[in-house]
Amino acid sequence: MARYLLTRAWQSALTLLLSTIVVFVGVRALPGDPALALAGEDRSPEALEAIRRHYGLDQPLPVQFAQYVERMAQGDFGVSIRTGTPVSSMLTTALPVTVELSVLAILIASALGVGAGVLAAVRRGRPAEWLANGLALVGLSVPHFWLGLLAILYLSVATGLFPASGFVPILEDPVDNLHHIILPAVILGTGLAAIIMRQTRSAMLDSLSSDYVRTAKAKGLRPRAVITRHALRNSLIVVVTVVGLQLGGLISGAVVTEQIFGLPGFGKMTIDAVFQRDYPVIQAVVLLTATAYIVINFFVDLLYSVIDPRIRVTGDPA
Amino acid sequence: MTNLSASETRLPRRRVLRAAVAAAAAVCTVVACSPVSNSGGDTSGGNQSAGQDSFGTPADPAAVKQGGKLDIALSAEPDALDPTLSRSLYSRYVFQAMCQKLYDVDEKAQVVPQLATALPTTSGDGRAVTIPLRPGVRFADGTAFDSAAVKATLQRHLTNARSARKSELGPIDGVDTPDAQTVVLRLKQPFAPLLGALADRAGMIMSAQALRSLGDNFASAPVCVGPFKFAKRVPQNSIEVVKDPNYYEASKVHLDSISWRILTDASIRAANLRSGDVQVADSVSTQDFAALRQDAAVSVLQSQSLGYQGLTINIGNVDGIGTAPKPINRPLAQNAKVRQAFEHAIDRKALVDAVFNGLHAVACSPISPASAFSSPEAQTCPAHDPAKATQLLAEAGVQTPYTVTMLASNTPDTLRLAQALQSMVKDGGFDLKINPVEYSSLLDEQDRGNFELLQLGWSGRIDPDANITNFVGTGASQNVAGYSNPQLDTLLTQARQAGDVEERKKLYGQAVTLLQQDDALIYLYRQRNLTAVSKQLQGLQVFPDGVLRAAFAGFAK
Repeated sequence: MARYLLTRAWQSALTLLLSTIVVFVGVRALPGDPALALAGEDRSPEALEAIRRHYGLDQPLPVQFAQYVERMAQGDFGVSIRTGTPVSSMLTTALPVTVELSVLAILIASALGVGAGVLAAVRRGRPAEWLANGLALVGLSVPHFWLGLLAILYLSVATGLFPASGFVPILEDPVDNLHHIILPAVILGTGLAAIIMRQTRSAMLDSLSSDYVRTAKAKGLRPRAVITRHALRNSLIVVVTVVGLQLGGLISGAVVTEQIFGLPGFGKMTIDAVFQRDYPVIQAVVLLTATAYIVINFFVDLLYSVIDPRIRVTGDPA
Repeated sequence: MTNLSASETRLPRRRVLRAAVAAAAAVCTVVACSPVSNSGGDTSGGNQSAGQDSFGTPADPAAVKQGGKLDIALSAEPDALDPTLSRSLYSRYVFQAMCQKLYDVDEKAQVVPQLATALPTTSGDGRAVTIPLRPGVRFADGTAFDSAAVKATLQRHLTNARSARKSELGPIDGVDTPDAQTVVLRLKQPFAPLLGALADRAGMIMSAQALRSLGDNFASAPVCVGPFKFAKRVPQNSIEVVKDPNYYEASKVHLDSISWRILTDASIRAANLRSGDVQVADSVSTQDFAALRQDAAVSVLQSQSLGYQGLTINIGNVDGIGTAPKPINRPLAQNAKVRQAFEHAIDRKALVDAVFNGLHAVACSPISPASAFSSPEAQTCPAHDPAKATQLLAEAGVQTPYTVTMLASNTPDTLRLAQALQSMVKDGGFDLKINPVEYSSLLDEQDRGNFELLQLGWSGRIDPDANITNFVGTGASQNVAGYSNPQLDTLLTQARQAGDVEERKKLYGQAVTLLQQDDALIYLYRQRNLTAVSKQLQGLQVFPDGVLRAAFAGFAK
């Protein structure tokens, strides 16, 4: 196990270094100049020069990279070119919003997806399965953007049940916080719920037709116990993998959801930073996302052994 | 029109001016130039018909209640909240509530005193400008507003390496403070646009104490004189200000706080307005206008911009902006007749009607009809005449259809405009190809000179100099066309230094005639800023400078 952890740790560090380089070069390969984006309408060559000098954009690329790595090593993400705010303070404001949104979306998606998946498998060939399959198809096909707009139109504008935009920090007012974030979380969770439902259904169907379930039934266990303690537990490994793999989709979905609902999160920050060519913000955001990916996948691997004791993790790739 | 290209003319100045005026008169007789009418002027509140200015009315103190939080949906995020550094139009909305200026503009686009007590007096040689300051005024941090604070602010504008105000303030040689309530600006030469600049961000005075303690980080906690003071900013999301008890007319302020929330999508802004999450939405899409006008709970303010949207033709920008113009081997770049043909192929009225539901106004020059510097010459408009366009192309020896590629931003509005233009200029013998790019890339390509024709605009300033010289003056900072006409430069310099409004009017009229002959920049239309306001709110106003004025608004009782 220790050897496995070590191998995974250095692989992760290498991935992180490579993503740092890719991000650094990638954002600079984008057409467009942050100085121009910042200068707005009132730009003169002297002003552009002053902006480039102030943010070190006039330095050669290797020098900029060296300075960037040096600052990163000290935990300094630099200053946003657009707003002049330290990137670290922008991250500390934005990160909790996206984490809360994503965690809620995962919880909602898991509850809906696993529930509907189990139902579809147990009630195979009956209306409940058709309904679950139909809903999953809708969840997968409808884009977040459109669904979000519909939700605002019907649940905010028409009925006033939920606010159409905005965010209240959880520490300020937990109830108002939930009121603001629940609708975006449900919208964000729809796609994931559909995927989880499909995976749970097929894994449950496999489990329900396997020998150990027949044995459990033969032992006289109640159907509920057979489903929850035997079939579902073995199907969950698929669900966990799917949630881990779908994290990327969730983050890209968060970009759109946060934009629609005006949530001050990571996704909105990313998209604004890309349009403004705000290099320090893009770099920090992508690096943090890459780190989150690596860490989450690492934990997904560890979770396998918890859920399924048959998996004995070794350092051997085979 | 006569073919008078920038580099071809070397006639004595007076002759050229006379010729230009005569040519314009002749052209108008032959091809029926039509003057652009000013459809603005109605300044009442409430819903007006499309294409009519409606700036909103001040709140009636007896009809509004004290207190309440106003939420405004903004279409883009303001940049640094530092009057010296700010470059975004949207920061002016926030500054309006918390950073008052020496001068302001009224709904007739006239400059009026704000932190000054009267319009400045200028010495006989035009090189000393004296500004009397309002007494008994305090900054939000409690320190006194006086001539020393004005001097500290102006010096920062002039000396800060990243200052966006330096060029606006012109040739200031020094700032004198004979007493606490008087400031004298010494100029190297007369500079008429100075007053317009002092009615914008250059005239916003910052607390000297805050400047000392915050330095370059002033934007993190800006301190000025204003009805409201800065409270907090969540980057890329919101900015909040709260009522300032130190404000000299605090009794006129009704709201407790104002929050600007950044919602970039127009339909989301409209939805938030309808749901009551915000009470004001800026930059309403012309597509949403009709629906919002039907809404009994909402009124839509309309204010015609002092800027313009236009087409810039690359006639000499080869090595990038700021470098000497070089000849470009393309008929569109070389021959003014081809550019004039393109202009004659455009039906501006039909364009505005088809693409923007008739909400925007036709523009043929950089001078808005609402400007105090407008004149009949400045509003002359080359007529839509496809036959004339094909004739000019034939005279220029260009084979039709002549292919032109246009660089344009990839926003839905711009794309619809580009497509309408594409079908329109076909009759004039042009085959227009559209190359849509994202905004940041567009700016980059523009400054490098990688374009044949491009569509962009300018939001507009009070003084016409700020809407013209930077864009068409030889070697000017935003002359992306690489255009140069010494006669035009002379006219613009004279207009800058002329103290008399009538004289400046005449000079700008002559400049417009030259601009329309050379056609390096074809002006298309002037945007009408559309702001949707909940009827619960009273006193929100939008003036011709495009700035949303929310500071003295209040909720209806």
